[in-house]
Amino acid sequence: MLEIRNLHAAYGKAEVLNGVDISAAPGEVVCLIGRNGVGKSSTMKSIVRDQIAVTGGEILFEGSPLTGLRPHEVIRRGVGYVPEDRRVFASLSVLENLRVPRPVAAQDRRRWSVDEVFALFPQLHDYRHRKAGVMSGGEQQMLSIARALLTCPKLLLLDEPHEGLAPKIAEEVVDAILALKREGVSMIVSEQALNTIRRCADRVHVIDRGATVWAGTVDGFYADPEITRKYLMVQ
Amino acid sequence: MTDPRALWAAVARASVNWKLLLPLLAGIEAVNRFAPASTSTLLTEVAILALFAASLNLLMSFGHMVSFGHAAYFGLGAYGFTLAVVRAGLPPEAALVVGPLVAALGGLIFGALCVRLTEIYFAMLTLACAQITYTVLFQWYDVTGGDTGITGFMTPRLGLSEAGYASVALWTVALALLALWAIVKSPLGLMIRAVGQDRARAEALGLGARKVQLTAFVIASFFAGIAGTLYAVLHGAVFPDYAGLGLTLDALIMVVLGGLNSFAGGVWGAVIYQLLSSVVPKFIHEWELVLGFVLLAICLMMPRGFVGLLHRLGLNRKGDK
Repeated sequence: MLEIRNLHAAYGKAEVLNGVDISAAPGEVVCLIGRNGVGKSSTMKSIVRDQIAVTGGEILFEGSPLTGLRPHEVIRRGVGYVPEDRRVFASLSVLENLRVPRPVAAQDRRRWSVDEVFALFPQLHDYRHRKAGVMSGGEQQMLSIARALLTCPKLLLLDEPHEGLAPKIAEEVVDAILALKREGVSMIVSEQALNTIRRCADRVHVIDRGATVWAGTVDGFYADPEITRKYLMVQ
Repeated sequence: MTDPRALWAAVARASVNWKLLLPLLAGIEAVNRFAPASTSTLLTEVAILALFAASLNLLMSFGHMVSFGHAAYFGLGAYGFTLAVVRAGLPPEAALVVGPLVAALGGLIFGALCVRLTEIYFAMLTLACAQITYTVLFQWYDVTGGDTGITGFMTPRLGLSEAGYASVALWTVALALLALWAIVKSPLGLMIRAVGQDRARAEALGLGARKVQLTAFVIASFFAGIAGTLYAVLHGAVFPDYAGLGLTLDALIMVVLGGLNSFAGGVWGAVIYQLLSSVVPKFIHEWELVLGFVLLAICLMMPRGFVGLLHRLGLNRKGDK
């Protein structure tokens, strides 16, 4: 479904990615892991062209290159994106936020309705007339995921979905990711919580200093403690 | 961008307070009928400028696009109507539709350039486009009459009395404002607000930000064109100043005075600005000095303008958008 080969990307003249390789198959949940600042978010931003310049390599989605497309064109191809900072439209209500996405009518897409995302996140239904800007971080995260689902993605990119959330709320987000996995939604999740990786992921890509340094199955990842020690623990 | 059924549903859904609006319009109409002609003319100008300010407000409050050249589309509306009568020989009644369409076409051409940039660079492009428009109107003597404009080509107000034309303008503006309100509340309006708040995020939800902004620009130009056309009919004349920087600044002041981030802000701003500019000069010669102090006070003490004040006093339940 998604194939990234030798990706290079930069903010202005500062190169932040210098050799990222990632693949994700249909229905698969792939976790990107690594310390803070190694390039996980930049990799996701490169896929959707979110304020970063891709300077080399290839990003193929369903066999077609995403290079040269504008962000909204990438989304319409079937890539949903939930950024790290959520970025809900603060002055719009929850319901209005959910009406903003432009769904793509295509037969090969799972088409989500507002009622379906309310079923996935019941709190959003309770607060549907509330301004998004006054909701808690966890509720904003749910709104951000719900909103991305309404673009009818084939592949969902979740950047640090637990960042800054209380453990109980983070658990609800993990439950939502598992529910989406059961629905067959392919996901790439940037993640640091090892427990979440064990519960959700099918495969793991470890990123360090802007490049992929290890890729394999979840079992393979846990079988080799050296990976965690070398690339995740604070030196 | 949005289908007619969705737009109609938005009109039906739009929370218009008819119990307040209809008596208000009827009250203004009554004043118009029994007041002297000068009051009717003032009412007409207030209504026209309210529509003009509301069209700019669509860009500023909802699209977060500050235009320093919105008068260009007021001027294009006025000249579009006038040239359709003078050069194309259309009857004035038929030419009424030409003005707004010319303004929308101008908005489409200039807007396509302006939305390529954002923030201050967007604002400077709007200014540049307006200056080009103004200069063409000012210099192209053979077509536009140059700095002396075009006068005497029709009976002012289509031959109607001051009160009669005030009624026409009032109800036209009321309908146009309702249409603008329905657009703000429609799915397209949501897109405009979303792109205005966070362009990158809106694109990450599948919206073509430039296309949405261009659509907003054309809509705002169209409604500014209606205002310009009504103004040209009122005076039976057009001048390059209708597209000048002065009128843009007036509209910007109206929007800030009335209150940013509120649909009613532009309308209230136009009412207050026109009343101030009619009354204050009778008592104080340096009326711009008073205006300067009023603006200082608004910006420092009431950044949400008159609508914010109403909200604070509990007179406006929905002070924001």
